[in-house]
Amino acid sequence: MESYHPIPWRKCEDLDRYAAGANVPVWLGGKKVIADRVVKTCCPHNCYDTCGELVYVKDEKVIKIEGNPEHPITRGHLCLKGFANVEKINSPDRVKYPMLRVGKRGEGKFKRITWDEAMDWMVEKITGIQKQYGSEALVEYCYSGNREHMAKAVSARLWNLMGASKLAGSFCLLSGAAGSYCSVGSQYTMDPAIWSEHCETVFLVGRNCSATNPHIFPFLYRAKERGARLIVVDPYTTGVAAKADLHLRPRPGTDGAMALGMIHWIIKQGLQDKAFLAEHTVGFAELAALAEEWTPERTEEVTTIPKAQIIQAAELLATTKSHFETGYGQQRYSNGHQAQRALACLAAVCGSFGKESGNYNFISGMGFPNLTGFAHWANVTEPEGAEIRKTRLINIAAIAAAIHEAKEPPIKGILSFRGGLISQQPHVDYTIEAVNMLDMFVTVEQFMTDDTDYADLVLPACHYLEQYGLHPSYWHPYNQILVPVCQPPYECVPDIEIFEELGRRLGYEKYFPRERTGLDYIRMLIGEECDVDAAVSPHGPVRNPEKWCPKIPYQNGFDTPSGKVELYSSMMETRGKTFPGEFNPVPEFQEPAESVYATPELAKKYPLNVISQHPAFRTHSQYYNLPWIQEIEGPARIFMSREDAAARGIQDGDLVRIFNDRGELKNIIARVGVRVKSGVIEMSSGMWVKLGGSVNKLTGVYPAGPRDILQEHGIMQEYHPLLDGNTGSYFNTLVEVQKM
Amino acid sequence: MEKQMILYVDTKRCMGCRACETVCKLENSLPAGPRFTMVAEVECGSGEDAHLSFLPIPCQHCGDAPCVKACPTGALRKRSDGIVLGNQKTCIGCHECLWACPFGVPQFGANGLMQKCTMCYNRIDEGDLPACARNCPAEAILCGTVEEISAILRSRYADGTFKPPGARP
Repeated sequence: MESYHPIPWRKCEDLDRYAAGANVPVWLGGKKVIADRVVKTCCPHNCYDTCGELVYVKDEKVIKIEGNPEHPITRGHLCLKGFANVEKINSPDRVKYPMLRVGKRGEGKFKRITWDEAMDWMVEKITGIQKQYGSEALVEYCYSGNREHMAKAVSARLWNLMGASKLAGSFCLLSGAAGSYCSVGSQYTMDPAIWSEHCETVFLVGRNCSATNPHIFPFLYRAKERGARLIVVDPYTTGVAAKADLHLRPRPGTDGAMALGMIHWIIKQGLQDKAFLAEHTVGFAELAALAEEWTPERTEEVTTIPKAQIIQAAELLATTKSHFETGYGQQRYSNGHQAQRALACLAAVCGSFGKESGNYNFISGMGFPNLTGFAHWANVTEPEGAEIRKTRLINIAAIAAAIHEAKEPPIKGILSFRGGLISQQPHVDYTIEAVNMLDMFVTVEQFMTDDTDYADLVLPACHYLEQYGLHPSYWHPYNQILVPVCQPPYECVPDIEIFEELGRRLGYEKYFPRERTGLDYIRMLIGEECDVDAAVSPHGPVRNPEKWCPKIPYQNGFDTPSGKVELYSSMMETRGKTFPGEFNPVPEFQEPAESVYATPELAKKYPLNVISQHPAFRTHSQYYNLPWIQEIEGPARIFMSREDAAARGIQDGDLVRIFNDRGELKNIIARVGVRVKSGVIEMSSGMWVKLGGSVNKLTGVYPAGPRDILQEHGIMQEYHPLLDGNTGSYFNTLVEVQKM
Repeated sequence: MEKQMILYVDTKRCMGCRACETVCKLENSLPAGPRFTMVAEVECGSGEDAHLSFLPIPCQHCGDAPCVKACPTGALRKRSDGIVLGNQKTCIGCHECLWACPFGVPQFGANGLMQKCTMCYNRIDEGDLPACARNCPAEAILCGTVEEISAILRSRYADGTFKPPGARP
């Protein structure tokens, strides 16, 4: 029997204070079990829904999770991962104590050490790097494995005190968010309970709702059963496409061209919302001139969508009360910012803004509360009385390039938490080379992943149910604060407590007082904007204040420089004068970085475009190690069309090799059928590299625009996320497939 | 005979999220192996009409259940409300029920004995819904008597009195 050391600096709070009920009976295995307490919390796994959860705890172990029926949007329903959390949090495979590497990087050989030894090791390494190279040789790596915001503020507090390089940007959606911001300014989404009661057409682009937004379905069905029509745009036949009245399947990366084609047709037919355009937009003439060439014929040629469908969709959008729900798939191409701009312009041409019957929903500003000001970031990240130096910024969308290229000083130490650096960044081999250049690579992990194999030190992480968190939804207007439902098992430590203790040992005791909890940090962040306690179990969820989540958005216009929707974007124009990149003020269509037209020579060698949509049964690289999930998902597979399979002598179920100049995957199962069109293959992202199924062995480092951060190797002095954008353009990846 | 309980899937609504599979695992404390419900994905149509259909297949609790007739030890029985239940105490693991079942429902775990969907009869007995029906994010899985289910479907698709999402029938 292994024993676990007490950790004297851990905060052990009485968690009964969060109980929404004590000694509650709950069904389990066909019997009623008495749980010690039930706690309200929410899921922070970077999904639209941010479900309200009821978590049942017995003997400090999570025994059951249910949806919280009081949540107005998720209404007591969870996805398959929600329930698998019980298997995950209780998994015997969790990282249980700090482990120091004893083998070579990549071998995965470790020895157990104590937390004291781990802290001493980190302090020695960090101060060594600071001495030799300066503090800017250090940077954190952190993303959305747990997308909760508060711990990121606490880690930033430490890095700021130290003067480390700062991690900035995103490799997920900032290209689209920037395209959108440059069109409409601050972004708001409208509650689905409103549009579903009034709209006549729903336009859903680039979102596989079955996997990433399942709670939209009752609202889509409500709209449909009222008589509304559903138009879905996706190159892949998703679950929601199966429910659509019209499913448009563009060639990957041509959604922007599709939108321009629709704008062309609407203007040509005189169907545009003239009153909205006159009152609330600028630059219609320039947009009309741009759309001039996008006749239905040309749009069909570029997008491969039959022109009859483009016309039908355009007329439905323009002549009925239409509502836009745009996902993130369409902007994961090098031209993603302009694709999103074009969609925003299409919504403006249709007048689909700020009406009960429809809004342009892309992402609510609550998705990045640090940028909008809902979270008063500096309250935590810039402690009073401390001198915070301005340091260089490292863009996460090009972090491997930054590690390769950084000179003064080089990047030598990374502490990574809540993100899979190796499995999630594009071009795995390039990322591994970068990691091998580091003197210190520490990961905070729940399981032994791809990253831990290359880490010098692995620290046992907490599950999200074991720590505090702030994650207001970026789709609906409700918020439930995450609280720890049970004490962490083994020697696992909540992320913020790792940073606090490390900070104390690095000499910043006074900035990390021992009595302060995660909830106190959350109060520091959002306490000035809302009543925090109302959203803490046993209370919540609460609706966010009207200021941040207006019931009907854009009633007071738009906060762009002109106060209108900018079809001709002055922000793009101005920014383009300062930074390199593709800052065209009108959303001109550009071919994605790799495609039949952009790189015809490459396309001869590698004619298939692989799109790596988010996995249906996992959160990126998480959950696959759980038996319940493996049983459902099975081994890595690709979907391909009958035509492409026949041309390569591949039959359904065959093992294939997928390759390009960047890498190859072997023994992948080919599923041949109707899910993708000829020329496209689909392989879900996030499968671990060491399991042989990571599509990122094939994807390339082409951060999407507007700003061209690769010119600067992702190392920046100045950066504005909503003007500069950047997303990993994972989907413009050309490959060839061969039967094994 | 009492009113018969039905576990019904509104296939117009199922969108293949598979939440019913893991909520069932959790509810019944099942390891990997036995699956009381499984979502089948079927590719339909071709060209521009290509699409997917989804069908969760729990036990159908058949009216005239072939498994009950096939079981040589009487380990399977049909309750008066129609729920078909197995009894591991009398099951001998002979697989006759699996041969008889048109849907491949009976599952065999590590002990070699039959286990399958119970329609969460214990929850039903206390007036609650089965775990999958309570949780379904698409509100596709319904449970009730034939009259209750018909009423829900009529309100969804026929009589224009559709209830807003989440409203319980």
